[in-house]
Amino acid sequence: MSAPVNPIKPSAARWLLVAVAWTLVGIPLAWGIYRTLRTAVKIF
Amino acid sequence: MAGLLAKERIIAGPSFNRWLVPPAALAIHLSIGMAYGFSVFWLPLSRAIGITQPAPEDWKISTLGVMYSLFFFFLGASAAVFGRWVEREGPRKAGVVAAFCWGGGFFISALGVYLHQIWLLWIGSGVIGGCGLGLGYISPVSTLIKWFPDRRGMATGMAIMGFGGGAMIGSPLADILMRHYATPTSVGVWETFVTMGAIYFVAMLCGGFGYRLPAEGWRPVGWSPPAQQSGMITTRQVHVSRAWRTPQFWLLFTVLWMNVSAGIGVIGMASPMLQEVFGGRLIGVAGALKDLVGDQRAQVATIGAGFAALLSLFNIAGRIFWASLSDYLGRKHTYFVFFALGIILYSFAPSAGSIGSVALFVGIFCIILTMYGGGFATIPAYIADLFGTRFVGAIHGRILLAWSAAGILGPTLVNKLREYQLARGVPAAQAYNTTMYILAGLLVIGFFANLAVRPVAEQYYMTDAELEAERRLAHEAGGPSR
Repeated sequence: MSAPVNPIKPSAARWLLVAVAWTLVGIPLAWGIYRTLRTAVKIF
Repeated sequence: MAGLLAKERIIAGPSFNRWLVPPAALAIHLSIGMAYGFSVFWLPLSRAIGITQPAPEDWKISTLGVMYSLFFFFLGASAAVFGRWVEREGPRKAGVVAAFCWGGGFFISALGVYLHQIWLLWIGSGVIGGCGLGLGYISPVSTLIKWFPDRRGMATGMAIMGFGGGAMIGSPLADILMRHYATPTSVGVWETFVTMGAIYFVAMLCGGFGYRLPAEGWRPVGWSPPAQQSGMITTRQVHVSRAWRTPQFWLLFTVLWMNVSAGIGVIGMASPMLQEVFGGRLIGVAGALKDLVGDQRAQVATIGAGFAALLSLFNIAGRIFWASLSDYLGRKHTYFVFFALGIILYSFAPSAGSIGSVALFVGIFCIILTMYGGGFATIPAYIADLFGTRFVGAIHGRILLAWSAAGILGPTLVNKLREYQLARGVPAAQAYNTTMYILAGLLVIGFFANLAVRPVAEQYYMTDAELEAERRLAHEAGGPSR
């Protein structure tokens, strides 16, 4: 069993990278959900 | 290139932010999730030669539909066969190979459409692409569980939500591209395949290269494993070659098989059931579906399409919701909710139809679909809890064969039962009732399988010497990268 590794708190630049990565996958997903919602509202 | 993909090259440094891993996993799952949306190509492909209407030499939609069987057979088979390789070689190599298979499958299919050779589509997207589905699907599972030991369910739920959402992006995108490329001599499908293959190839490569593995012994800031472990969450490891000999493996297989079979059965019949049960009431006129005229039927069909879209939204929402909730409820309790609530809702759906409440009927199916998606998303964490995190991807790959089995059981049960009842003179609107009760029966089997799940027996766990030998085999001597 190895000793626990203590992580360093991520820097602001790392969080910016996280925001960019999530935006890159979030935009197409949000567009897909929006398109699906437009079809789904026809039931109401 | 081989060195760039090596497992030891992707060990993260101490300042790495673990929240970068889920978007990498999502990039892959959103790409391969387009498998669900392939039917958007069937109609244009059925008139690839005739262009405006099908020519005699054009492909039949039933011939094109073979693609779905190939997808889900090769997804399950490749996940089962290559799961061990994925664990050994790491997620980056698996992600990159998946990108070549899935993107490459589109290119081969484009050639198949261009030359009008159906076997090239089957081999390209069906077989090679299907292997890309399996590799891509399991590639992030154990990585995410290692990065999020405090929220295993939520982490895998995020990735598997992407698989459910892939068709939401891919289907409208394919539609836009086909319109763009269509000419008087082409329906625009082969050009669309090339474009989408390129997009998916790049997105999946980005995902694969975005994967990092935590260093041995890494823990999230401020988190330490609970001092008193629950009996249902082990800190030890079961080898994949031993896991399938445990009763727990087959119980989880049954749990997934029953949950997915019932869900697939419902997905296939929900929209036609809504239209046939409520008929003219959906548009405020009296009469059954068969009594409606052309324009009224079209309006009802539009509502049916809206219902199908609504269900797909609840399917993906359920993946993240239930998987995240399972971190608090526990995996076994979460599946208890799926089965107990599922039995009630499946059994009550015909009554909602007979009392004429559209809202109640729609609400029941929406909740059912969240539990269908939730079943997929929660199973990796359940496996990790019982068998340990070391081989979770490989064991998950083998358990995914339950998905292939469900792909046969669910639709066959629904279609055969319906045909049998219609042949006996049961009215179309009522022919669904017995089917719903039978599907509830599948959930009863799943309920008892889940009830029987206990911690794995001592004899199946790996010894320290076996673990050490496995680490050496899996090239785990490398230092951290950035």
